[in-house]
Amino acid sequence: MTGLVFARKTPWLGAAVGVAVVGATVAALAPLGADVSRATPALVLVLAVVGACLLGGGRAAVTVAVVAAVTYNLAFVPPVWTLKVNAGEDWVALAVFLAVAVSVGLLVAGEADRRRRAEQREAELRALYAELEAVAAERGRLAEEAARVTLLEDVDEQRSALLRSVSHDLRTPLATIRAVASDLRDGTVYDEPTRTELLATVCDEAERLDRLVANLLSLSRIEAGALRPERQAVPFDELVTDRVRRLSRMFRQVRVDVSLPADQSLVDGDYSQLDQVVTNLLENAARHAPQGSTVRLDGRRRDAMLEVRVSDEGSGVAEWERNRVFEAFRRGEGSSSTGVGLAICAAIVEAHDGQIWVEHTSGGGATFVFTLPLRKMGP
Amino acid sequence: MTSAPTVLVVDDEPAILRALRAGLEARGYRVRTATDGQGAIDLVALEAPDLVVLDLGLPDLDGVDVCRRIRGWTDVPIVVLSADGSDQRKVVALDEGADDYVTKPFSMAELLARVRVALRHRPASEAGTSSRHGAGPIDQSVLEVGDLRVDVARRHVDVGGRRVELTPKEFAFLVLLARWPGRVLTHGAILADVWGPGYETETQYLRVYASQLRKKLDDDPSRPRLVTEPGVGYRLVDPSESGAGGGPG
Repeated sequence: MTGLVFARKTPWLGAAVGVAVVGATVAALAPLGADVSRATPALVLVLAVVGACLLGGGRAAVTVAVVAAVTYNLAFVPPVWTLKVNAGEDWVALAVFLAVAVSVGLLVAGEADRRRRAEQREAELRALYAELEAVAAERGRLAEEAARVTLLEDVDEQRSALLRSVSHDLRTPLATIRAVASDLRDGTVYDEPTRTELLATVCDEAERLDRLVANLLSLSRIEAGALRPERQAVPFDELVTDRVRRLSRMFRQVRVDVSLPADQSLVDGDYSQLDQVVTNLLENAARHAPQGSTVRLDGRRRDAMLEVRVSDEGSGVAEWERNRVFEAFRRGEGSSSTGVGLAICAAIVEAHDGQIWVEHTSGGGATFVFTLPLRKMGP
Repeated sequence: MTSAPTVLVVDDEPAILRALRAGLEARGYRVRTATDGQGAIDLVALEAPDLVVLDLGLPDLDGVDVCRRIRGWTDVPIVVLSADGSDQRKVVALDEGADDYVTKPFSMAELLARVRVALRHRPASEAGTSSRHGAGPIDQSVLEVGDLRVDVARRHVDVGGRRVELTPKEFAFLVLLARWPGRVLTHGAILADVWGPGYETETQYLRVYASQLRKKLDDDPSRPRLVTEPGVGYRLVDPSESGAGGGPG
């Protein structure tokens, strides 16, 4: 039934089948005469109309209904085989038959039509949806491709930033070394204090190059996942004192104020790695500290950790930059150096199960804070 | 007795400031220093130095901007220091009014030679000592750079007494360089001057003309008169002049 309803309508076929059914009904029932009630052919003829409608649509149904009504009158309404109708009751029956046949036909046709349209719309929507899906898939693929290209560009950009940064950082101390060394080689005569100062400057810059190379090596180790602290008991106060003494020439323009707990607590860590953290943070602070200001390094116990704060009175780190300063090759605004030091600090502190972050120094400047696990005292 | 020229050195690296201060003071210059762009601009305004040595990578302002702002009111010679090795930045700085550049790392002799050349061509109004040629470009009808002699009025060029025949474009190219002896002129500046506006990017012309000029001037490739500054421009030098030693004046 559903198949018939949804099938494409062919009016001539519907009309032909309807008329054939009408003919068959007459052939089958008319010879029986009064043996069948008059309702039986009427019901069968209505079926013929419905069939015509299903196959041929509304027009076929109306055509067959009229043919069926005439035939009914001829074959089954006395006097048979004439178009005459005697009894008023028969007029009513004939009229009701015609009305029912046409109504049923039109209703079925209308319903079929509605269903057909609904089906058509559904198919259209389905096609549209499929098309949209295809477009969305294509867009997704393009977006993915764009993302991949962006990623590659980012990697490329990072790589050239790395090269620019490294070449700048290597050249800056080299500039001083070359200028002074070439000058002395050319026999320029300096008084003794100036000469000593120049040579000390060359040594400082050579040490700075050395620190930079150490940082670059650490960075490559970090990137290769090979940064494994060799833990031992580290007397942190001694480490800091020694490092501040070694960097004293770097702090000629600023005061350094160190304050660590006097309980001689030991940190559980890798001496040379922790030394690198302290060196990088002090160097960073010295670079950003205004002349005559104070760089502070404070430490205090917090449960099983040592919390160390290195603060300067420089221009500070903007709120939005606070997480990014620990990314490699991210220089502070206008900063002229490294870009790897803080990234290395973060990697080392994290490898020691500690944390590192940056805060605002009260009164202006940046405070770098990190925590390190204290060595558990043996029994 | 005139006072020694004052050189303002601008760099945010204390070490290079110490080195340059010592090197310049040993040659008799007076030295002032600044560690950022704003400080440099203020000092140029307040103290009117005879020359500025300016690092392009400063913490507060871009060195090129500092150059442009200083040029807003004075023609004081500016020698730019650049560490990034990017030719583009030097060219931009030169086009914004810098007189010369030195790439880090440099030898002290190299920097001092640039300082001397720049001081030689400082504007007459700002020259404290007797300048060899007076103001800016040499505005004379006969230009001499070592044994090269260019008679602009008669369109004669002699090298060591030997007459050299040049085409009009070669001649114009040489005259322009000879008016600014020792100083680098950017590709764009040379093209605009010799070929006219609209030709600023045709650097291949310059390669051709420079090579023809070198051939005609009989340049010694190891000590050329016409020096190529790769990616930047050209300068005309006196090959017999030593780069090392020497002080102000």
